[in-house]
Amino acid sequence: MGKTNGFLEYQRTEVLYRPKEERLKDFKEVTIDKSIEELVEQGGRCMECGTPFCHNLGCPVMNLIPEWNDSIWRGQWKEAYERLEITNNFPEFTGRVCPAPCETSCTLSINDAPVTIKQNERAIIEKAWEMGWVIPRPPKTESGKSVAVIGSGPSGLAAAQQLRRFGHRVTLFEKNRKIGGLLRYGIPDFKLDKSVIDRRLEQMAQEGVLFETGVTVGEDISIRYLRDKFDALLFTMGAGEPRDLTVPGRELDGVHFALEYLGRSNRKIGGEPCEERDISAKGKRVLVIGGGDTGSDCVGTARRQGALEVSQYEIMPKPLVWEKPWNPVWPEWPQILRTSSSHKEGVNRDWNIDTVSFEGKNGKVSVGNFKRIEWIAAEKGARPVMTPVEGSEFTLKVDLVLLAMGFVHVEHGRAVEAPGLELDARGNIKTNGYRTNVEGIFAAGDAATGASLVVRAINHGRNAAEAIHTWLGSK
Amino acid sequence: MAIHKAVRNADYAAFKEYSGIINDRARGLNTLRGLFRFKKGKSVPIEEVESVEDITKRFTTGAMSLGSISKEAHETIAIAMNGLGARSNSGEGGEDEARYIPDADGSDRRSHTKQVASGRFGVNAAYLANCDELQIKMAQGAKPGEGGQLPGHKVDEDIARVRFTTPGVMLISPPPHHDIYSIEDLSQLIFDLKNANPEARVSVKLVSEVGVGTVAAGVAKGKADMVLISGGDGGTGASPLSSIKYAGSWWEIGLAETQQVLVQNKLRSRIRVQTDGQLKTGRDVAIAALLGAEEYGFGSTTLVTLGCVMMRACHTNACPVGVATQNPELRKRFSGKPEHLRNFMRYVAEEVREIMAQLGFRTMDEMIGRVDMLEVDAAVDHYKAKGLDFSKILMPPDRVDGEPLHCTGKQDHDFTLSLDPDLVNECKDAIEAKKKVVLERKIRNCNRTVGATLSYHVTKAHGSKGLPDDTITVNFEGSAGQSFGAFLTKGITFRLMGESNDYFGKGLSGGRLILLPSERSTFSGFRNIITGNVNLFGATGGEAFINGMAGERFCVRNSGATAVVEGVGDHGCEYMTGGTAVVLGPTGVNFAAGMSGGVAYVYDENQLFDTRCNLEMVDIEPLIEKADIRILKTLIERHIVYTDSLVGHRILDSWEESLPRFVKVMPIEYKQALKKIRDQETQNTDTASVTEEVFV
Repeated sequence: MGKTNGFLEYQRTEVLYRPKEERLKDFKEVTIDKSIEELVEQGGRCMECGTPFCHNLGCPVMNLIPEWNDSIWRGQWKEAYERLEITNNFPEFTGRVCPAPCETSCTLSINDAPVTIKQNERAIIEKAWEMGWVIPRPPKTESGKSVAVIGSGPSGLAAAQQLRRFGHRVTLFEKNRKIGGLLRYGIPDFKLDKSVIDRRLEQMAQEGVLFETGVTVGEDISIRYLRDKFDALLFTMGAGEPRDLTVPGRELDGVHFALEYLGRSNRKIGGEPCEERDISAKGKRVLVIGGGDTGSDCVGTARRQGALEVSQYEIMPKPLVWEKPWNPVWPEWPQILRTSSSHKEGVNRDWNIDTVSFEGKNGKVSVGNFKRIEWIAAEKGARPVMTPVEGSEFTLKVDLVLLAMGFVHVEHGRAVEAPGLELDARGNIKTNGYRTNVEGIFAAGDAATGASLVVRAINHGRNAAEAIHTWLGSK
Repeated sequence: MAIHKAVRNADYAAFKEYSGIINDRARGLNTLRGLFRFKKGKSVPIEEVESVEDITKRFTTGAMSLGSISKEAHETIAIAMNGLGARSNSGEGGEDEARYIPDADGSDRRSHTKQVASGRFGVNAAYLANCDELQIKMAQGAKPGEGGQLPGHKVDEDIARVRFTTPGVMLISPPPHHDIYSIEDLSQLIFDLKNANPEARVSVKLVSEVGVGTVAAGVAKGKADMVLISGGDGGTGASPLSSIKYAGSWWEIGLAETQQVLVQNKLRSRIRVQTDGQLKTGRDVAIAALLGAEEYGFGSTTLVTLGCVMMRACHTNACPVGVATQNPELRKRFSGKPEHLRNFMRYVAEEVREIMAQLGFRTMDEMIGRVDMLEVDAAVDHYKAKGLDFSKILMPPDRVDGEPLHCTGKQDHDFTLSLDPDLVNECKDAIEAKKKVVLERKIRNCNRTVGATLSYHVTKAHGSKGLPDDTITVNFEGSAGQSFGAFLTKGITFRLMGESNDYFGKGLSGGRLILLPSERSTFSGFRNIITGNVNLFGATGGEAFINGMAGERFCVRNSGATAVVEGVGDHGCEYMTGGTAVVLGPTGVNFAAGMSGGVAYVYDENQLFDTRCNLEMVDIEPLIEKADIRILKTLIERHIVYTDSLVGHRILDSWEESLPRFVKVMPIEYKQALKKIRDQETQNTDTASVTEEVFV
């Protein structure tokens, strides 16, 4: 249970970052790895709550957080890893990129600084890799059943590993050259170094998961064929359809979706040959539209590419500025201003801005036109109404515009259309206990829920694997 | 968490969400009430139903002691409940006298229900005098049959002060009341309390179990004004895990049985019934009412509304929300407000009203005991629900001679044999003007609890500091009834020539008792028992000089009184936490068991004492320190002055030879705590509080 009153004796220690000047010169991870030895006292701050909100409300995979915090405090690091592995296939991913709802729901977040749960998780798994505790765990017996998992993001990866461990033959299909989905092509290396993915894939390969890359299901290979060859199909292709901006000038060169931009940058850093033209921010005035995590990743990438200046506009109002260590709406997720390491590297952030149009020269974008807006509170329950502020129009010189306004739903390609999958109101694959309307086809992750967190995708993948396993057993 | 939101933002919709979750869970978890449903009634407009304000007056909070929860939490609960015209329960552990007077802003921090539990911690005349209800805790839902323990690190200076104990020393609340071994004894304690505060009603807390109805009938006949049937699913966070669940039985069972037994035996009209045990919503309260309860207690939920997050860390003193901790740093984090708890109580009452309207009851009184309005919910589909037979719980009792289903009258408390009304009358000047008075009275064994009401009046006028020494002196002659000199307060001296029954000096609160055999008696006191069992049980101060032997359980739970006696039976000084006992003769076995404070000096003539003393918590030491010798000698000298004791004379006459035969019984933990306190005082650094020092 950590140390009784440990939270009174020890202060929370924050994540350490490499100096700005240094980290902007490369794409390596911005954070400095903390060893588990440095986090012993942080484990001791855990109070072993009778009702651990971190575990049963905060964490989507229900990590056994109090237990491994205690193990850290006691120096039982292998036990810590063993407890961590029970619920989370990829702690090295979540330990780096998770927004950590566990920490905002930590009981200490009521009136104090939460336990460094995310740092602890990362330290445990890194220790485990270092000590060689992470070993392949292939199934003891083969079930003789086979599953195709389509899409190799966190959800597909988690499902593939779980299904394989249940004893099924698993083939993981990916349209890109390498496995990883958004982990590889969405998240920049400075947040998640790709070697972290590769060592995990090595383990999965040794467990017997088959990888088929460069295959677009529905195009290169038909669903009919897959249904014929596999006992079950799991769709985990994410919510790839970006929200578009329908304003005059959208078609100009230099206006791109964020993921086009990030994908190409990630490919280049990963040493992949790039068929498409490179989009570089070097020497450019960059505008990122959209204030979320993807937008923040664009900011950091553009800075590293040598952008002249970077702006980031958000249509919603500026969230509450909250500098206190506790959570004002504990145990819920607080809507507060979040400033990422990329933001600290230099960006002009602004809120309540609506994009009116883009203008360009020779087909290339050069100026953006904007106006300020207000959100007028509506009747209880209804959404606030967006109202333009008169005379607030302004322009900004831009050479590169990146649209990071979120994702609407799964891409409605042939993979989804061919088998006649039913969609929900938002355009995602409709599921009931991970089953789609077509017998034998399952869906999980963003493809079924819409864009969400890596940790939710992992949870979904695990649950879907469970559902498929049960279904295969009853067949 | 919906409940936190509801009470903090005063959001009834959030409360409905919360109660929906809880009621659903009741079905899922198969609490008995989860399996019931209301029958269809002839609904009435909600405007015609009794008001929220009237309903909340029936609400009370669970008995949670100061000590187990922080001062801030304890006082917030009291202010909240008093503001509603309802009651909060002090729990066992005394109360700061400053709380008896309302604050400048009108906030009343006094607990209107004061609990009298087996440990009698903090129970003195002033504590008893300052309340509207005295509750005898026979058992506790969350840990029936077990005593409580307050670990030493939670006993800080404030807690120790109100409990009359020593900071840093663990406090044990024994499982039984040492003055209750039968229903007759309980009846006597009810009588004692009634005398100690004639204004207050007396209630008895029982835990639901099979047969509790019979006990409740005994309680009714013992003239308690209210009986509480506490459910076994209470949630004390500090109980051992093995005791939290499945220890007592559900309140539904005990309450139904109690109601049936009381009605069938024509006792219901004179006693009120309360129930508690995980009551959380209006539905829970409505079901409790239909099963026969007219008052309702909320424990865990009370704390949750004030910020408790069910850490289950109550016993570690590390509660991070300042509810169940004495750590000053953590207490600062307490964020509960009286409004939060009041909002909760009002919302529950509002929900009760909605149900009342739907069932067609305009007043709670109409609703109580209408078990015919409940039926088993056939729709509950759970494998464990199959084969359950609820006919015994949902059976309407035979109403002999039209016995009502709820309390309609009062207990007939008989004080005709009490000597106190006359004493109070004679002592008017003494109480008002502190004029000395000396009275002579004959006494018989039917005159019980002499002095308690007199002490009540002195305390009401002067607080616990009482009157100057010997302001009131009463010389009795004869054979005293039970509880002679109970709760006697400062400034009153009772001298009894003759003998006394059990409970002599129970809860002595600063007064002086002198007992010596009648001049006409043919026996010598020191060879004969002249006072019964359980003398000075739970005494908090004062003196007793007994020229003779006492029975069993002498000075049990003494926390401040000084006593000289010439021999005791078994279990002397058990669970003692303070005060001084001098035994000038033989002792029985098990002396000093569970003794965590105070000192006993024993004249060990035959060198057999070490075989009779329970050495689990105490050391036997020779008397070498000058301070000890001085105290002992002075006490014997005074004993001779008051009683002309033969034994006393003999010992003093041969003091040089007698002194080495004396031993000092010293609790180990207490000795360490005293040493720390002394070191602290001499160092004079005051960097750390006593508790920290003692228990780091």
